[in-house]
Amino acid sequence: MIYAVGYNDEISAGPFDLNTNAGKQALFIGLSFVTIIVCLLIDSNFWQTFGLLVFGITILLLIGVLIFGVTVKGANSWYRIAGFTIQPSEFAKFGTAVAISGFLSRYNTSMDDIRSVLIAMGMFLLPMFLILLQPDAGSALVFTGFLIVLFRAGLNPMLYIIGISAIVLLILGFIINPLFIVLGLLIIINLIFLTSVQKKLQWGLLLLGATVFAVFLAFVDNVLPALGIQALLVFVSGFTAFQNRKSQLVAQLAGFLVFGALIAFSANYFFNDVMKPHQQDRLNVWLQPSKCDPKGALYNVIQSKISIGSGGLRGKGFLQGTLTKLNYVPEQDTDFIFCTIGEEQGFIGVFGIILLYLILLLRIVSIAERQREVFSRNFAYCVASVLFVHIFINIGMTMGLMPIIGIPLPFISSGGSSILGFSLMIGVLLKLDSVRMNRARR
Amino acid sequence: MAIQDFHKNRHYVIRVIFIASFAILLFKAIQIQLVDSTYQDRARTTAIEKVIDYPSRGMIYDRKGRLLVNNNAIYDLNCTYNLVDPKMDTTHFCKLLNIDKATFNKLINKNFRSARYSRSVPFTFLSKISDRTFARFQESMYEFPGFSIQIKNVRGYPYRNSPHVLGYLSEVNKKQIESNPTVYKTGDFIGSTGLERTYEKDLRGSKGVRYLLKDNLGRAVGSYKNGSKDTVAVSGKDIVSTLDVELQQLAEDLLANKSGSIIAIEPATGEILSYVSSPTYDPNLLTINRNRGAAYAQLLGDTLKKPFLNRGVQAKYPPGSIFKTVVSLIALQDGVMKANTGMSCKGAYYYNGSSWGCHQHATPYNLEIALEHSCNTYYFTTLRNIVDQFGFYEPHRGLTAFNKRVADFGLGKPLGADISNEGSGNIPTPEYYDQLYPKDEGSWKSPTIMSIGIGQGEIEMTTLQMANLAAIMANRGHYYTPHLVKAFVDGSVIPDKFRIKRSVNIDREHFEPIVEGMSRAVKFGTGNTAYLKDIEICGKTGTSQNRGKDHSVFFAFAPRENPSIAIAVYVENGGWGSTFGAPMASLMIEQYIKGELDEKRLTLKERLSREDLLEVKEP
Repeated sequence: MIYAVGYNDEISAGPFDLNTNAGKQALFIGLSFVTIIVCLLIDSNFWQTFGLLVFGITILLLIGVLIFGVTVKGANSWYRIAGFTIQPSEFAKFGTAVAISGFLSRYNTSMDDIRSVLIAMGMFLLPMFLILLQPDAGSALVFTGFLIVLFRAGLNPMLYIIGISAIVLLILGFIINPLFIVLGLLIIINLIFLTSVQKKLQWGLLLLGATVFAVFLAFVDNVLPALGIQALLVFVSGFTAFQNRKSQLVAQLAGFLVFGALIAFSANYFFNDVMKPHQQDRLNVWLQPSKCDPKGALYNVIQSKISIGSGGLRGKGFLQGTLTKLNYVPEQDTDFIFCTIGEEQGFIGVFGIILLYLILLLRIVSIAERQREVFSRNFAYCVASVLFVHIFINIGMTMGLMPIIGIPLPFISSGGSSILGFSLMIGVLLKLDSVRMNRARR
Repeated sequence: MAIQDFHKNRHYVIRVIFIASFAILLFKAIQIQLVDSTYQDRARTTAIEKVIDYPSRGMIYDRKGRLLVNNNAIYDLNCTYNLVDPKMDTTHFCKLLNIDKATFNKLINKNFRSARYSRSVPFTFLSKISDRTFARFQESMYEFPGFSIQIKNVRGYPYRNSPHVLGYLSEVNKKQIESNPTVYKTGDFIGSTGLERTYEKDLRGSKGVRYLLKDNLGRAVGSYKNGSKDTVAVSGKDIVSTLDVELQQLAEDLLANKSGSIIAIEPATGEILSYVSSPTYDPNLLTINRNRGAAYAQLLGDTLKKPFLNRGVQAKYPPGSIFKTVVSLIALQDGVMKANTGMSCKGAYYYNGSSWGCHQHATPYNLEIALEHSCNTYYFTTLRNIVDQFGFYEPHRGLTAFNKRVADFGLGKPLGADISNEGSGNIPTPEYYDQLYPKDEGSWKSPTIMSIGIGQGEIEMTTLQMANLAAIMANRGHYYTPHLVKAFVDGSVIPDKFRIKRSVNIDREHFEPIVEGMSRAVKFGTGNTAYLKDIEICGKTGTSQNRGKDHSVFFAFAPRENPSIAIAVYVENGGWGSTFGAPMASLMIEQYIKGELDEKRLTLKERLSREDLLEVKEP
């Protein structure tokens, strides 16, 4: 029950700054307890059995919200019912979680099977796509967390390495001249050749020297000659490798080079020629803040960092935060609530919150690993993954590590749908865990 | 049993990813919360606004409590861009403030990208708004959110006179801010001349500071730490000056269209009763408002009248015959002559085949008569006797001894009055004459320099020094450094240097013949035009030779016993001392002692003030 305790602790951190919405929030906290209790009463097989049905309902809700929803702050993400607004994307996370867990627990599902992989990916890409249409990039991004679940279920790690490399190249492509990226790729390839093909010392020294020289040329803005030198070396090394019957390595590295260059150039083109200035601003705020107007695009991040930074070690005390109380920080009851904690409770508070979250996540992983049912294990990983993405991006965003994306901090940010969605996940997880012995015996 | 789990170990990877990610968050938190202190500094400057409350500057009264310098409010209109209603009636707004739309747009659209301006921090929209414009605007101010008023005090001068004494305020310059950064900020006013400058520290008071918490839109939402760090503005000290405003007015009238100055001192205290430098101007012209720049430029550009020249202390003139009193006293003290020493004057002083002119007068068979008739021969001789007291070939020693005594009279250096830019005059030294008359050209002896005995030649004084001489004569041997501040209203004492009795080191007995000579000069001699039936004035004329028309000089004190006023009048190009100096001094004395002018004397006053000497320019 430790997560329930942790959950309660963090709920009590909620009213820090929720004066305006405190009443509603209290109501939702009450509702979330009811939700957990209801979850504990529902039969543990219900969710696995009706997983696809729940998923289907949430998908319909997501489609419906595009048609019937109300628009708040530019996103068509809410239903309005009896004065309360409900955000279906919060429940879609749960629906997707039960559906994917159910799918992965089938006997004929295997992550070595391309068809299974595509179906599993489709199950979270579909709601993600629908949410992007609202548009709500933050909630959509959360669904990438299911990649962690697929990883645990056995998806090939090489795909992750390639994917992460591609993302890194893409991000670099936004901000760096792609010629430099190609130069970097060539140098990496050369180093691989150096370690695997050219074992002779003089060759090694020559390659190393030429590489240093090329880097030097690149630094003094002569990137083309540097590229030429590196390309020549790669060509010579590649030819040697080919003669040494290492054609497979040559082919792989050639593919690496071609795709890397392609991503770099297209990212650069996309960033500079396709994206609109305000979209560029968003990325610049994250990637190269020095290029941004401190009173414009950068304002939120700067105020957010100032407020957290000004908390120091011990903070300014409960309700004593000047920047957060005086509204310098935007959206501070939802997306930027971490600023209030940082400013009022200082590093001690920040450390405490991060530690509690980490304990919660590791605890859920432990719970996952002690399940005997594949469904239960995968569902636990779904909960952990969704929570992880929320926490990491939200806190990272307030400190300037992550781009500014509207995404609540679980159990702390105000917002009824969010807290109910998380309660649902926790409640179901508790139920599944409580009956794990019975289910195993079944 | 469920499906075979081939990937059991992957949970380690997931745990490591979780831990590593959260470690990154923690490191970032350590960096911005514990390591990098810039965030804490910036938090302080972001949300807390320092509001300066300006103290009211000390006022200045005359010696009878009449207000000479007061404070008028002037208004700066501040604007907080974020709070301005975009739909406000700009036409009405512009009409109220007498500005056009283009100006409005220029004033409100600051460069908010620069660090100087922020949309949420008030900036000065329009400065130096007069109270009339403000009164009109204030009625409609509620229609224009985002605009607020900052009141500053500027000076007003109900009597429109005495600019050289009172001085004016200017905005502080960069240097003044740098040398006193805690006191002055850009846009503050500082005393630039006169009393405003000398007593800047007393008059300015101290600013108050309030720390306001501002929300993100720049609205004040309360005080920071409940005002525990706030300070209250303390008003400047009010000054009672030594001036008598009626004397000031009279002196200005008398000097109308003339260059020169009139300075009157209360001998018993050194208080300056009147100080007028002419040509003068209305001090209200230089009060801080939107027309000030043009007025200042016009006054500065008036090269004919030079109204900014403070002639009382900055112009130095040969004192003329009034210096004969000093020569007499030194001669008596050094024993080179007696009060009853008589001489013969044949209408000129003859030496070595040359002659220096005197004028027709009775034979100076003693000092009193020599003074009464201002005999030049008598004083050429007397000065030579002083300079030659160690022998004809020792003029250096003689002149040095003489100069030492002259210095005791407060001459040759600034007196140290509380008037800015006080000049020192000039007392020629032996070294000076060595340069003027080199050894190979025959050097110099007492006859070479004897013209200083009649106050001509190289010797020069400021009018203030002449007035102080009159005070010394009145006091029979001592003076107090002339000063313009009588008291502070809050009871703090005036500077010590104005309360020290300064002796001129001449025995009191030696003054009697001088005083008698001065009295006779007014009764029967050259100063006859200063004569008053019922007040015994002791005075001495001077006619200081000049390349153009001579300057008219007169110094006097009255009454003879227990003198209450000592005065010096210097009228450039006024001719004889008796023409302008003496009658002006007598009018001033009459005004001060009786409190008003006799009706019969008003015509004299009118006649004197109508004289226009400014047309007569030096060739």
